Amino acid sequence: MKKTIPGAIACCCVLALSACGSRSKGSVIPPDGKLDKCQLRFSWWGGDDRHEATLKAIDLWNTLHPDITIVPEYGGWDGWTEKVTSQIGGGTEPDIMQINYDWLVTMSPDGDGFYDLNQLRDRIDLTGFDKDVLSFGEVNGRLNAVTVSVTGRGLFYNSQVYRENGASYPANWDELIGLGEKFNGRGIYPLDLDIQSGGTAWYLAVVYVQQKTGREFITMDGDLGFTESDIKEALDFYKLLEDSHVIRTIRTRTDEDGNAALYQSPEFIDGRVAGVLEWGSSVGKYESVLSEGVLEAGPLLSDGSGNDGGWMIKPSMLYAVSRGTKHPDEAAAFLDFLLNNEECADILGTTRGIPVSRIAYETLENSGKLSGLAQQNYDMLEKADTVTISPYMELARMKEYYNTAIEKISYGTSDTASAAEELYGSVKQYLEKIKK
Amino acid sequence: MKKSSYSNPVGTGRYTGLLLISPFIVGFLLFTAYPFVCSFVLGLTEYDNVRQPEFIGFDNYRRMMSDDTFRTSVGVTLKYAALLVPAKLAVSLLVALLLSAEIRGIGVFRTVFYIPSILGANLAVVIMWQYLFTSGGLVNQFLELVGASPVSWYGDPDRAIFVIVLLRLWEFGSTMVIFLTALKAIPKELYEAARVDGCGRIRGFFSITLPQLKNVIFVNLVLQTIAALQEFNAPYMLTGGGPLKSTYTVGMLIYDEMFRYNDMNAGYANAVSWVLFVFIAAVIGIMFAVTGRSRRED
Repeated sequence: MKKTIPGAIACCCVLALSACGSRSKGSVIPPDGKLDKCQLRFSWWGGDDRHEATLKAIDLWNTLHPDITIVPEYGGWDGWTEKVTSQIGGGTEPDIMQINYDWLVTMSPDGDGFYDLNQLRDRIDLTGFDKDVLSFGEVNGRLNAVTVSVTGRGLFYNSQVYRENGASYPANWDELIGLGEKFNGRGIYPLDLDIQSGGTAWYLAVVYVQQKTGREFITMDGDLGFTESDIKEALDFYKLLEDSHVIRTIRTRTDEDGNAALYQSPEFIDGRVAGVLEWGSSVGKYESVLSEGVLEAGPLLSDGSGNDGGWMIKPSMLYAVSRGTKHPDEAAAFLDFLLNNEECADILGTTRGIPVSRIAYETLENSGKLSGLAQQNYDMLEKADTVTISPYMELARMKEYYNTAIEKISYGTSDTASAAEELYGSVKQYLEKIKK
Repeated sequence: MKKSSYSNPVGTGRYTGLLLISPFIVGFLLFTAYPFVCSFVLGLTEYDNVRQPEFIGFDNYRRMMSDDTFRTSVGVTLKYAALLVPAKLAVSLLVALLLSAEIRGIGVFRTVFYIPSILGANLAVVIMWQYLFTSGGLVNQFLELVGASPVSWYGDPDRAIFVIVLLRLWEFGSTMVIFLTALKAIPKELYEAARVDGCGRIRGFFSITLPQLKNVIFVNLVLQTIAALQEFNAPYMLTGGGPLKSTYTVGMLIYDEMFRYNDMNAGYANAVSWVLFVFIAAVIGIMFAVTGRSRRED
């Protein structure tokens, strides 16, 4: 007995240590062609408009399929990536997940991070999807996720404030700068840019330089397309926006809003900040805090001589199935419902942007729901000479680099040349590391 | 006649004691010891929560030496602890002294002062704090009312940390309750005898109350120091670590590297956790040594 107890403890320790890392990838349960009684978890992030519509869609599913219960898990964007990362690390992720574009790089670098949806094609009708759009969700030849909608950031303005101040929406960069002067003295800012999780400050600066130079900031393969002087020009442009009173300085913004998102800020709700740069698929949260019809889409800014390039598009979000799901057939059936069911499409509307599923798109078109800000933004982006965002651009560490540079020049702790040198070095080094 | 005795349902064998404490032992091994050991092992790896860890020896510990963000976060954490802990002990003791008075309805006051501690740094409290300290918030409105200039709280890198310190200071209830209990335990005869000898209230506080409270002060000092050095929630919710990383604590760095960046740095986060653990243990050890508590009392 004396020898067996220490021996057993030693064995337990060895076994425990071998399991310290991530969960074992284990075997994937193949589809069996049947829909069994089960419970599935479905998670997404978003604003209230998306939550309400999705919960109604789940109610519809539960009515149609009483044997397969969907348990919703939802919340705001902040902290959502961290939550899903820890779930995946612990093997407790939901069966069906709304995922972000860059998660494919970090959570499934070899295509093994999510269920290969090619195996579930009998259950998911993908005939109504453009091949190029589907390829956004492919990693290493495996279909890890299906694109829900394609989106891009656009400019949205508080029409009431603009009208009261006799201003019209800017069409080019010079007009945007001019607006700062017009609004100055009235305590109003024509636009807001942030260095929070959205990181719109760097985003707009990148659009400006991409339009001017025709170079992509980061290519789809993860190479840095900008030179150091391009990055300096982007930072100079940002500083010009602050100096011209187009946007609040980071200090003013932080003093006024603390750590709150713009759509929760009294400055935006009360109209002292009268514009926002936002994804067409997510603009609902800004629209809903103002009176109906007050938020309007403005034109994508050009250089004034017809060049409207540089604006970016990407899959706004994708649906993926957990590689560890015990119910692949049922998860696929629910996914097909979300993507292709006409009634579901009607309920979800444009809360996840303009759907790329042909069935969903036609349903919304026929019911006259393809209207509103998301559609206006989509139409503008379709007409513009857009570029597809590299998933590498949206990685959290990269955003940290951009935001740090912007913050330093805003607070004056660094000039644009030094900040550009540091940002260029950090981004280049990081891209080399992450692509290994 | 046979002497009656209580029967033991689990017997009185050699392993009965072990059996009785086994629920705790199992819980401790699974939820404390196992993660503790794993954390150290993972600190020796490159790891991203998703792929299998890759052993890299002590590289993560070496990386800390040249990591500016780590150095900044250590500085912020020490500054935060130095600001918060003495202030919290002083405020807690002061309020405990006031609440130890035997007056009618004192129980209500004790409850009211304890409420903030129950709330913690949750979303509702954070929203309240946002509206207190933003530029148009209640605090600045008050300052303007009394003729003072409004203050940049969140936006000033030198002041933002005070907003967090104030939040935690407001939650002094637990510390205060420990002081209050200890105050109640001081024999009244000591004060009566001192009063007979002509001792005033202030002298009584320094010559009787403080010496009688020294063990409790030490306990509160240790508990509050540990909590302050581990701070994460309040800066995460209130400032996001900014501006210019002026509120970026070691706890936030661990969180970012572990969950936010998602880029093979979870091992680094575990290594930083271990450094923080050893540092806290060292600080507490020094406290014990300085106060003579490490000596064995016969």
